[in-house]
Amino acid sequence: MSNHLKRMKIGEGVYFTAITDPKFKSNRISVNLLLPLDEQTAANRAIVPSVLRLRYRDCPDFTQLNEKLDDLYGAVVDADVRKYGAYQIINLSVQTLDDRYAIEPTPLVQECANLACGMLFDPYLEKGLFSEEDVRLEKQNLIDTIESEFNDKREYAINRCISTMFGDSPLAVKKYGTRERAQEITAQSATDAYRELLRRSAVEILFIGSGDPSVAQQVFAGRFAKTERDPIVYEASLPISSATEVKTVREDIDIAQGKLVMGFRTGDTSSPDQVNAMKMMVALYGGTPFSRLFKNVREKLSLCYYCAARYDKASGMMMVDSGVETGNEQKAQEEILRQLALVQQGDFDQEELDSTILTIVNALKSTVDTLSGLENWYLTQILSGSEESPLENVEKVSRIDKQKIQKAAAQITLDTVFFLAANKEGQDQ
Amino acid sequence: MKQTIHSKRMQESYLKVKHPSGLTLLLYPMEGFSSAYAMLTTDYGSVDMAFRTDAGADFTRIPAGTAHFLEHKMFENEDGDAFAKYAATGASANAFTSFDKTSYLFGCADHFEESLRILLEFVTTPYFTKQTVDKEQGIIGQEIKMYDDNPDWRVFFNLLKAMYVHHPISVDIAGTVESIAQITADSLYETYRTFYNLHNMTLAVAGSFSPDAVIRIADEILKPAPKLWLERERVQEPDQVRQKRIEQKFPVAAPMFCLGLKVCPADAKTNMVGSVINEIVNEVLAGDASPLYRRLYDSGLINTTFDCEADSGRDFAALIFSGESKDPDRTAEAILREIERVQKEGIDPAAFERGKKAVYGRYVRMLNRPDSIANVMTGTYFSGLDLYDLLDTAASSTIEQAQKRLIEDYRTEYAALSVIKPLEER
Repeated sequence: MSNHLKRMKIGEGVYFTAITDPKFKSNRISVNLLLPLDEQTAANRAIVPSVLRLRYRDCPDFTQLNEKLDDLYGAVVDADVRKYGAYQIINLSVQTLDDRYAIEPTPLVQECANLACGMLFDPYLEKGLFSEEDVRLEKQNLIDTIESEFNDKREYAINRCISTMFGDSPLAVKKYGTRERAQEITAQSATDAYRELLRRSAVEILFIGSGDPSVAQQVFAGRFAKTERDPIVYEASLPISSATEVKTVREDIDIAQGKLVMGFRTGDTSSPDQVNAMKMMVALYGGTPFSRLFKNVREKLSLCYYCAARYDKASGMMMVDSGVETGNEQKAQEEILRQLALVQQGDFDQEELDSTILTIVNALKSTVDTLSGLENWYLTQILSGSEESPLENVEKVSRIDKQKIQKAAAQITLDTVFFLAANKEGQDQ
Repeated sequence: MKQTIHSKRMQESYLKVKHPSGLTLLLYPMEGFSSAYAMLTTDYGSVDMAFRTDAGADFTRIPAGTAHFLEHKMFENEDGDAFAKYAATGASANAFTSFDKTSYLFGCADHFEESLRILLEFVTTPYFTKQTVDKEQGIIGQEIKMYDDNPDWRVFFNLLKAMYVHHPISVDIAGTVESIAQITADSLYETYRTFYNLHNMTLAVAGSFSPDAVIRIADEILKPAPKLWLERERVQEPDQVRQKRIEQKFPVAAPMFCLGLKVCPADAKTNMVGSVINEIVNEVLAGDASPLYRRLYDSGLINTTFDCEADSGRDFAALIFSGESKDPDRTAEAILREIERVQKEGIDPAAFERGKKAVYGRYVRMLNRPDSIANVMTGTYFSGLDLYDLLDTAASSTIEQAQKRLIEDYRTEYAALSVIKPLEER
């Protein structure tokens, strides 16, 4: 399979991309509506997919809609929010079996495309607005989702680090918005947000699976042609920034284990070559079970169970996170920084780099074997202004040498250290 | 001994091979795929805490967390750790321990054969010393604490503690800091020799690979294992739960719950087939399209985190309903009353047909992925089934079967509720 991207314009600011392969037994249609992240509007937009998921004009009852999904062999609708750098993505996806595997013959692709279009274009309205009842329900669910970030302490610590790091920038805005803004949502404001999404957003539709995408393409093209559009121009540029001083924040909480999160800025990554080198550097430093961080902070010093680095190119950020005993955080932080300095100085051998390249190449080649792997890869490519297939990227990353790794490492600057300290006193069991 | 397992429905097949070493090979080549996934599994998990290999001997008892500790330590050999070896092939490797299995796995697109050699070699070469055992106690100690901070994990394991009186399923898979302190290099060797006998293991491979190459590499690396006679101590677990309700306060935003019903366990095969039918029953009772789901969702008692599962293993089976809820007790009560109502009034045939299609679709979609195929081939094998039996069970199920299981398995008097409540100050 070549997997080369075929992205077609099917409407004003609306693009349709099909990646098909007969090996799959199901199909996935994923509709992505993009607008710039903004603290004021994020929550109002975030509620939209949940309200659309409840019912639509031709299926005006939540239970009836779910019955329909079960009848389509347990078709799964995902209605959620994603974040890519400074953009908020409202996502609506439908996935089900390919027609070949239905127990009784059913045109499943057609049915799923109609379903996605029904939810997106013909919502259930009362006097021109979303139902008060639906908005009340989903508003509470949205508030619960925003608050539940606190449940997973690892994620909570990461989010606290990101907020501290990016301050007032749109990069700091959370994908679901804030509790305060969510509380202000009304049927009117949610309906307005929905209409703005349809009119203003940049739209990327992906079809992935074994079925015939032309059915879905026609259905969506037809519907967008009848929709008034004034889309934004999506900017694929990546942020360039370095830290000037290190911000340090500590929070005490009743948990068993401390969570250390360090946010770094990755400097100039404006060219694809720089992005590829940064990706490889982060993997060598802390992205594999033989990386610097795993081998030293975990295996050698026995300080933690996890200590890993990840790269978010859309935000120009590298993040290291680790679960450590409170009291050991200083020791862990010193070792994390010492290992970075060693990579910067070129204190790693060719074998280490070769292994890291092999690991990344292996992961790239495996992405074409799952629907979710393909969707993430191609959506990210489109959003970063590239049309590269995983195999084309393999060619490029295989050529990265030691100098490029050192250069990428040298661009890294520490911005924020966040430590969630385990304060067991008062823990009530 | 080679056997082809074929599915008429899917027009696909895989191979089951009894290798002369004792190991069972489950080989599922997939056309058009670029990657392969291999998983070496022993029929040994956290619940196997007492066993004997001689009918006349006493049961050997090992500390809680030994299976998981052994999994960590297998990665270390005299000539370095397995991750370092995989580094030379680029494979993505991992391992996990469940209640009744321990699996070592890798996924790769290139260098499959080299990676397979690494897998077979390191899992058949134990190497434990006092020093390496001591070091691991620090790392696993941190892993245990990480789980202590995870409310999803806590609410589930608290439930098992409440449900089971004697069964070791109620003990955390990783054990406790105290129990793993008792583990020694010698006890690891003894456990290893018992459970890592190849007669007690499978190698499942799915995706892009050649079955002949797997057999050839197995021929080269694996030595015939001695005959194995193994008995695990059986606990007499009563129908009753230990306690009806368990609660923990935790720094979370909203309350969480897990409601569990104890299913009277039979053999592994019956448990697994039963759990497929029970997945359909779950859809009827509490799936997205059920009247109960609608009522609870509309009243704000549950949200999209709500989930129901039919779990089963070698000698246990359970039905579990879980999620966030502002009022876990009312939600649990509503679920139990709904079960009783449907038991009395009978399953609606239309709801049954929908649930059946949904569950069947889920099992077909599972065949999209090499990793899930390897997992399910392994699980079904140890339960005395073939992978396609699950699909066929779902596709050919009848409302009478569902009705029977609803009455026999959903015993509301043997239910326990686990609740996580937020700390007061938040």
